[in-house]
Amino acid sequence: MKVLYVALAAVALVTVRVALFRARRRRRATPPLDEPSEPSGPSQRSGLAPVFGALEHSLGDVGLVAGREIRERVRGRIFRVGTIIMLGGVAAAVVIPTLHKSSGPSIQTVGVVGGLASDTHQIVLIAGEANQDSVKFVTEDSVATAKADLRSDKVDMSVVDSSELLLEQPATASNSPADPGMVTDLAEYLGVLQAYRQAGLTAAQVKLVSGAKPVAIHVLVPNSKEATKAISIIGLVLLFFMLTQYCTWILIGVMQEKSSRVVEVLLAVVRPLQLLGGKVLGIGAVALGQATLIVGFALVLGASVGSDLLKGTAPLALLSELLWLVLGYAFYCWVYAAAGSTAERQDQVQTLALPLSLPMLFGYIYSVTVASTGHTSAFFKVLAYLPPTAPFCMSVLVGLSQVTWWEFVASVLITIVSTGGVALFAARIYRRAVLRTGGRVRLAELIGRPAR
Amino acid sequence: MTSLMGGVLQLQGLRRAYGPVVALDDLTFDVPSGQVVGFLGPNGAGKTTTMRAVFGLTDLDAGTVLWNGAPVRQAERRRFGYMPEERGLYPGMLVGEQIEYVGRLHGLSVSQAAQATTTWLERLEIADRRRSKVETLSHGNQQRVQLAAALLHDPELLVLDEPLSGLDPTGIDAIGQVLVDQARSGCCVLFSSHQLDLVEDLCDRVTIIDHGRLVASDTVDALATSGPRRLVVRIEGDRTADWARPLAGVTVSEVVGGAVRLVLDPSIDSDEVLRAAMAAGRLTEFTFARRRLSEVFREALA
Repeated sequence: MKVLYVALAAVALVTVRVALFRARRRRRATPPLDEPSEPSGPSQRSGLAPVFGALEHSLGDVGLVAGREIRERVRGRIFRVGTIIMLGGVAAAVVIPTLHKSSGPSIQTVGVVGGLASDTHQIVLIAGEANQDSVKFVTEDSVATAKADLRSDKVDMSVVDSSELLLEQPATASNSPADPGMVTDLAEYLGVLQAYRQAGLTAAQVKLVSGAKPVAIHVLVPNSKEATKAISIIGLVLLFFMLTQYCTWILIGVMQEKSSRVVEVLLAVVRPLQLLGGKVLGIGAVALGQATLIVGFALVLGASVGSDLLKGTAPLALLSELLWLVLGYAFYCWVYAAAGSTAERQDQVQTLALPLSLPMLFGYIYSVTVASTGHTSAFFKVLAYLPPTAPFCMSVLVGLSQVTWWEFVASVLITIVSTGGVALFAARIYRRAVLRTGGRVRLAELIGRPAR
Repeated sequence: MTSLMGGVLQLQGLRRAYGPVVALDDLTFDVPSGQVVGFLGPNGAGKTTTMRAVFGLTDLDAGTVLWNGAPVRQAERRRFGYMPEERGLYPGMLVGEQIEYVGRLHGLSVSQAAQATTTWLERLEIADRRRSKVETLSHGNQQRVQLAAALLHDPELLVLDEPLSGLDPTGIDAIGQVLVDQARSGCCVLFSSHQLDLVEDLCDRVTIIDHGRLVASDTVDALATSGPRRLVVRIEGDRTADWARPLAGVTVSEVVGGAVRLVLDPSIDSDEVLRAAMAAGRLTEFTFARRRLSEVFREALA
């Protein structure tokens, strides 16, 4: 069944890829000359026309700029291939672990040589139940018959005189029909039963001892800890990858508009904040759409295959990471936009990108470490309240259930307020720097009197 | 398609300094409606800064930009068209979509933008490149795309920074005719260029600036007929104009192909020049000439 799910996921991915490939070929095959009588604006050509129309109608110039960003980004090969790769990675992370799990109840046919006492019969059933196996008994006339039935796969294992187990080959062998878990348990139980008898226990005493119930077990961390840890790390990787990608888009996009002088044509019509706001909004919408698609895909696929990865607090951690993707993007995009407005060339962008990514990189690496070990520290908790590292650290704390709702809300509020301040500062830098040409603009030159 | 609404652009006392460098120094001039105005000046004279100031792309230390007597704001700029010197285009965007996008920002609806894009691409003879990426176009065609984007919304004022540079003669004719047609339909057209002969052919009016200051601004006719008189004298076999150099109050402007171009001081009697020329050899041409724009330009900057 799980193989079927994997196959279906693979088919879905391939189908999406083929559809995209065909769509691109169709576009290329379209005659170059458009029909003049037919309105052919980008909003009308796109299947997302109502969305773009609403966006542009409600937000005016900001909506127009955002609409252009969305169209250009979604059309880009990097976005489409990246989305498919991420969906494939998520599918693999969700499905593959389930392939190694027991695949549910099975029937174990047990040959019996020399009959079974009632307590022994009961023990065989318990061993089967413990391993999700239902047991079917077959009476064997002799050991030779039992061996013959084992070889012909009529039985999976045989119990000889209630004191010995007989298998065709080791239970752990890949083609052994015997459930290795049941074989191990049954061997242990029969050994204990023999010990009871050798100790001289009466049947009633044996029954009492055999029926002993285990004491209660209390755990400090829910039993899905491993699953939550895994999903938390997967989420962190995606969060880091996506934040880096979208912020780099902003950085390069602003630089390219400046270097190609498109910004002059645009700012002759719209205000700098409208242009910047539209760009941030457009790329942010693409980011949110892609992340929602991936999280939704993970949740649906996980539920379909019964993945442990999405049990316990894992879905909460995923949703938290989705929220922190939005908040992290909102915080960082302004910083990257301001930085991009000071550069004119690709090499200048590369020089800027490294220092800008350091806080993100630090938060990411530290968070992955903590998510792996489960050991937090006071310093880590402080980082969960600082906007540059909160997207990573707070997500981990949620996954580990080490944060209360009000602490989470406090961190969100701090990030939102900080984002407002950063946006105002970045918009000021952007306005002053984006029209200045002739080399990279230093931050010190942008603080003070207007200089464009 | 084109607007018949007139308007006057007035630049009053513009001043802009970048540190110790003064880009604009109390610059004042008008661009009347229905005229093509050539905006001239040597490199670094402040032409681009002036044009950017019209669109609020540079902060002014002093001065105002007025449209029909009122300060220019974003609403007015939506009705203007602008073409920067270095082409302002998204390299990876499709030609048609790029033009439509700029048109939408100027307030056109989706259908209006699409229709106007079709019209202008056909008029500028690049309709077959509508679905090409801008970066795949030649320099000249990119300029046509840029011009289409500036014209799409039927602007009342068109400001073009070096629109003719790098174009072949066909391109110059096509774009030049568009500028003239726009002006004849009531649009204000201001464009900068270093191709003075083209400016003389296309423009009704010329404004010359240097070091951010206005040095001349008038109609082409007025500038051509103003200043000292000019004579074109051709003497058979003469390639040096040595006969004219000793004459007081006469300056040899240039000698091209045997034709000597002379500039006369107001006190000089042209008969004296005629006598000297006849004495130098067989006279084949003796004509009063208008000032060329190149002469106006050089003399204004002298």
